Amino acid sequence: MEQRLIERYNLFLHEFSQETSKEMQLFSIIAQSFFQPFSLMDNLLVIMTALTAGPGLGFNRAMLFLTSGNRLKGEFWLGPASPAEAESIWRVLSTPGIGYAEIIEHNRSLLTSETDTLTRRAKKLSYALHREESLIPALTASARQMILVRDARNEPAVDKRFLEMIDTDEFLCLPLVSQKDVLGEFILDNSITKLPIGHRDIELASLCGLMASNYIYTAQLQKRIIEMRKVAAMGEMAMYVTHQLRNPLVTIGGFADQLLDPDTGERKKKRNVQIIRSEIRRLEKILLRLSQFLRIDVREKTSVDVQDMLNLVQESIRQRIAGRKISLDVEIEVGLRLILCDPTHVGEAIRNVLDNAVDAVHDEGHIYLRAYREGTEWAVVAVEDTGKGIPEAIQDKIFDSFVSTKERGMGLGLAYVKRVVDACGGRIEVKSAEGIGTTFKLYFQTEPREKGA
Amino acid sequence: MQKKLLIVEDEKNLCLLYREELAKAGYKVTAVSDADTALEKIKKQTFDLIITDIRMPGKNGIELITQIMALRKDIPIIINTAYQSYKHDFMTWAADAYVVKSASLEELKAKIKELIG
Repeated sequence: MEQRLIERYNLFLHEFSQETSKEMQLFSIIAQSFFQPFSLMDNLLVIMTALTAGPGLGFNRAMLFLTSGNRLKGEFWLGPASPAEAESIWRVLSTPGIGYAEIIEHNRSLLTSETDTLTRRAKKLSYALHREESLIPALTASARQMILVRDARNEPAVDKRFLEMIDTDEFLCLPLVSQKDVLGEFILDNSITKLPIGHRDIELASLCGLMASNYIYTAQLQKRIIEMRKVAAMGEMAMYVTHQLRNPLVTIGGFADQLLDPDTGERKKKRNVQIIRSEIRRLEKILLRLSQFLRIDVREKTSVDVQDMLNLVQESIRQRIAGRKISLDVEIEVGLRLILCDPTHVGEAIRNVLDNAVDAVHDEGHIYLRAYREGTEWAVVAVEDTGKGIPEAIQDKIFDSFVSTKERGMGLGLAYVKRVVDACGGRIEVKSAEGIGTTFKLYFQTEPREKGA
Repeated sequence: MQKKLLIVEDEKNLCLLYREELAKAGYKVTAVSDADTALEKIKKQTFDLIITDIRMPGKNGIELITQIMALRKDIPIIINTAYQSYKHDFMTWAADAYVVKSASLEELKAKIKELIG
C-alpha cells in the first residue's frame, strides 16, 4: 500500500480514540466552544458544565461570580438541586458523543426554566473587592489564590450569609484573573455526592479557571476594541466636518470683510452677498449629505422594478459623460425585480458607484452597468469600468467612512453605498486591478420568478 | 516693480477672493484652478511666488510642487490648504511656508511679505 506523505485532520475534533481520557475530551470541548459563535456566558457555562458533569471533572455544583465595577456579583449557579436531579443530568451528559452544542442547549433550557432557583439565589450575592477583604468567598479573588475550605461551619473567615446559601462544609474557591485584574471567581462543591475534594480535582479546576479567565479577558478586550473604534470614528467624523466646512467659511469670511471695507462699491457688495449666500447653501448641502449618511431609514421593504430604477440613474450619468469619450453600456435582465428597503437610497447608492466609475475612467473608457439574477435568491447590480483601478493597499478600506482617493473626495460615497446595501439585507463586493479597472457588485434579494415564467 | 504671484486654487470663489485681496495688497496676481494650467503658466512666464492648494482635481498640490521644483528651483512656494494634516507630509517641507486657510488673509499676506516683500 502506498504510504501517504501528509495527513490532514480537522482542528476541531469530534471523535476521540479509546485511550483519550474523559478529562482530555472535556477540555477539548471547552477549547472548541471558544471558536463557536456562542456568547461569553454560553462558553463559561460550558466550562461550568464540564466541571460539574458528574463523574466528569469531579464536582457537583459550580457557582460563577463576575466582577462588575468594584464588586463581585453572583451570576450563575449550575448544579442539581437534589440527588435525583443530579442523576438525570449526569445521564444526559454522559451520553457518548455529546458536544458543546448539546451542552449549551441543556444549559439554556436549565437557565430559562422556572425551577432554576440556584442561579436566582446566587444573583443575590455581591461582595466588595478590597485588598483587605477578608471574608470568603471574596478573599480568593483579592488574594488571587485558590482556597479550599475544608470545614466551612467552623471557619470564621467564611461569610455567614454565603455559608447559609451554599449549605455545605467543603468547597473550592477559584479566582478568575487577568494579569492585572480580578475578573470573577468560581465556587465548586460536592454537596450531592459528599466526596472529598482531592488534589486531582484542584488541578482540573485550576485549568478550567485559567480557560475561563482567558475567555472573559478576550471578551473584555473585544468590547474595548469596539468602543475604541467608535471613538476613533467620531474623531474622524470631527476632522471631516472641520475640513469640509473650512473652504466655504473662509470664502464667507473673506467676502464679508470686503463688505465692511468702505472702499467696496455697491456692485461689488451685491456680488459678495450673492457669493456668501451660495457658500451658505453649500454648507447646508454638506450638512444634508452628512445627515443623510448618518440616518439611512430602513423602511418597509418594497419590490422594485430594476429597469425603472436604473433608467432614472443612468440618465443622470449620461448627462455627466455627454461630450466625453466614455461609453455606458446597460444590460438589464427583463422582468428583474429587487426587494429593497428604500428605492430612493438604493438608486442614489448605485448612482454613487457609477459616479465613481466615471471619475475612474477620467477622459476615456467604458462603463458597464448590468443587472442579472445570480442563483435563485440574489440579483446583482454590477458596475464595471476600465478606469485606473483602486490601489491594492486601500482596497479593504474603501467602504470605511472618510477614506477617499479623490482629491476633493468626501470619503462618504462608498460608505453610504455599503450602509444602504446592508440595510437592504444585501452585500457588496469589489474587484479591482490598478490600470485595468474596477467592478462593484451589489447583491440584493430578488423577487422569486413567477411560476411558469 | 510689482511682484507677480501665481495662485493655484480650484474653488472658484476662493480664487476670486485671493485675486482681489492680494491685488489690493499691491501684487500682480494670476489665478488658475488646476496644477496643469499652473505648470503651463510657469513655463511661459516668471513669477516671484507661487501659492497652491493641496487637494484639487487632477494633480494635487504636492505633485505640483515636485514638478515646479524640477522646472524652477528658485521660486518660493506657499502651501495654502484647509488641512492641518499635510504639514506632516514630508513633501510639503519643500514649500517655503504652510498656511492653513482662514477667513482672515492676514497670515497669508504676512508670509508673502516675509518671502518676497
